[in-house]
Amino acid sequence: MKTLDEYYRSYNSNVHRGIHVLSAKATEAYEGARTKVANFVNAADSREIVFTRNATEAINLVAYSWGLSNLKQGDEIVLTVAEHHSAIVPWQFVSQKTGATLKYVGLTKEEVPDIEQFKGLLSNKTKIVVVHHVSNVLGSMLPIEDIVTWSNRVGAKVLVDACQSVPHMPVDVQKLGADFLVASSHKMCGPTGVGFLHGKLDILSSMEPFLGGGEMIADVFQDKSTYAEPPSRFEAGTPAIGEAIGLGAAIDYLSQIGMQKIHEYEKELATYLYESLISVPNVRIYGPAPCKTDHRAPLCSFNVENVHPTDIAEILDLQHGVAIRSGHHCAQILHRTLGINASARASLHFYNTKEEVDVFVHALKSSIDFLTSEL
Amino acid sequence: MDVSSLAAALPSLVAPTMNLKPRLAFPLHPFSARGGGAHPRGSVAVGCAHSNVPPPLRRAADEEDQGEDADPRLRLHRLAEEFRAVPEAGRARRLLAYAAALPRLGDADRVAANRVMGCVAQVWLVGRCDGAGRMRFAADSDSELSRGYCACLISALDGAHPDEVLDVDPADLAPLGVAAGTRSRASTWHNVLVGMQKRARAAIAVREGRSPAGSFPSLVIGRDGTVRAQGSYAEAQVSSPPLQFCLFSFRCLD
Repeated sequence: MKTLDEYYRSYNSNVHRGIHVLSAKATEAYEGARTKVANFVNAADSREIVFTRNATEAINLVAYSWGLSNLKQGDEIVLTVAEHHSAIVPWQFVSQKTGATLKYVGLTKEEVPDIEQFKGLLSNKTKIVVVHHVSNVLGSMLPIEDIVTWSNRVGAKVLVDACQSVPHMPVDVQKLGADFLVASSHKMCGPTGVGFLHGKLDILSSMEPFLGGGEMIADVFQDKSTYAEPPSRFEAGTPAIGEAIGLGAAIDYLSQIGMQKIHEYEKELATYLYESLISVPNVRIYGPAPCKTDHRAPLCSFNVENVHPTDIAEILDLQHGVAIRSGHHCAQILHRTLGINASARASLHFYNTKEEVDVFVHALKSSIDFLTSEL
Repeated sequence: MDVSSLAAALPSLVAPTMNLKPRLAFPLHPFSARGGGAHPRGSVAVGCAHSNVPPPLRRAADEEDQGEDADPRLRLHRLAEEFRAVPEAGRARRLLAYAAALPRLGDADRVAANRVMGCVAQVWLVGRCDGAGRMRFAADSDSELSRGYCACLISALDGAHPDEVLDVDPADLAPLGVAAGTRSRASTWHNVLVGMQKRARAAIAVREGRSPAGSFPSLVIGRDGTVRAQGSYAEAQVSSPPLQFCLFSFRCLD
């Protein structure tokens, strides 16, 4: 917040354009933030980081820029039923425009994406695999390195939605090996309005622009234009400068604590949340139990028998000052697969404590008592 | 009009496809101070600022019959005053009490065509214009608090003329609660009001001899130039009985 305030008060100026000292300072801070993001995910080159509005825009960028140019009738796009809408809908657009087909990986009885089914879906028709790293509903984690290995064998690209992993654990894009990876600032203690796409430089260099305008061009003529190199090619117009610099400050903050330390703490918190919540009568939690998985994110999507999750969320808010989410969490396909319309979700970050989990569980019990006595 | 009369009268106010069956035969007052009163799920403890029992919700048409001003905006204002008079802890109870008194829609009406889009719970809304030119609404939800919101909106707008329904501004909902009047997919208040106004707009269109179909939210334009609805919401709008949506083809210019 201080960083944002300082930018807007002291050197609010456009980037990559002016030659005066304020513009130079803003450009330096903006590019400095890009380098911070690159280092945070161990990208080989800061030019592999494209600032976007959020992860959703980053996925749309890949869909429109790479997808429309590289997919055709008969090609297949593999996703899982547990993907966020932002990882599904852009590919539906691409499918409608190109004739490529979407193939979905279902769930196992442990309520995680079925890796065996995934392997079975891969073929020489598969051109891109779009998967989450950590599910925002199930809390489960996918083996991205293995997925990349299997996908590469059939010549398919891999796009990873890392929104739920980058803020919570060390993520190394070189180790993962995915072709594209996306994340959002607002989920990692940063400001809203900015996110990023990591793409391998050779792939980004081969991609057509997404949006047209200033910054992304080299020369403009009446009948054509030539385009800048990545990442500028994909950053048309004036970017969210203060917000990108703010994301850099958020990364400084997280790095100071240490992502491995955050991850270890959150694993413990995740187990505590799960075990505390499962002890509440008539509660059903979705996704694998912590004992049945190497990793369960510090979130629990759940339902209480005979009580609507929205009612629970409202009473928790109105009567206890506890904020949870209710609805489909931008995962309608997953909810239909689970046979439900909606769920409640409690999610934690490293700043939450076990005491807060206790407060939540106590408030939940009280809310359930209130609702079941009134109904 | 008391709640029992309201519940009994509702079946005659709606299209034959509706299958309104009040869950119980309500007494004159749903929740008497003596703690009685039939309730779908057992006894209810209800609190309000002035007594342990919330006043029954009254419809616009009932108040007009009694010579009172039935303007929906005024009724919403009165409802907001009523809510403000209740301690915050009691508001949820009041909503649940109103929810308990709201008749359930039958399965025939709990269908995709009647879904109010954008709510975090499933909400179904049925609306039509009766022979006297008034809008008649019924609603239901899988969330009890959402049923309470629906009951409140129905009490304000059921029996109002279509133009009066359209005159209600979402901002009129603001005094009812935080974000009540805000355009948001999470605001049941706002989304149900929008749904009611859509149906009022369709009724006005029919009255004026125009097609009731409004602007269409979700179209797919195929490579062959055909235009079709796609997605459960769009397809539901096409199949919605009050709307006669004309699909047309046009040539896509390459």
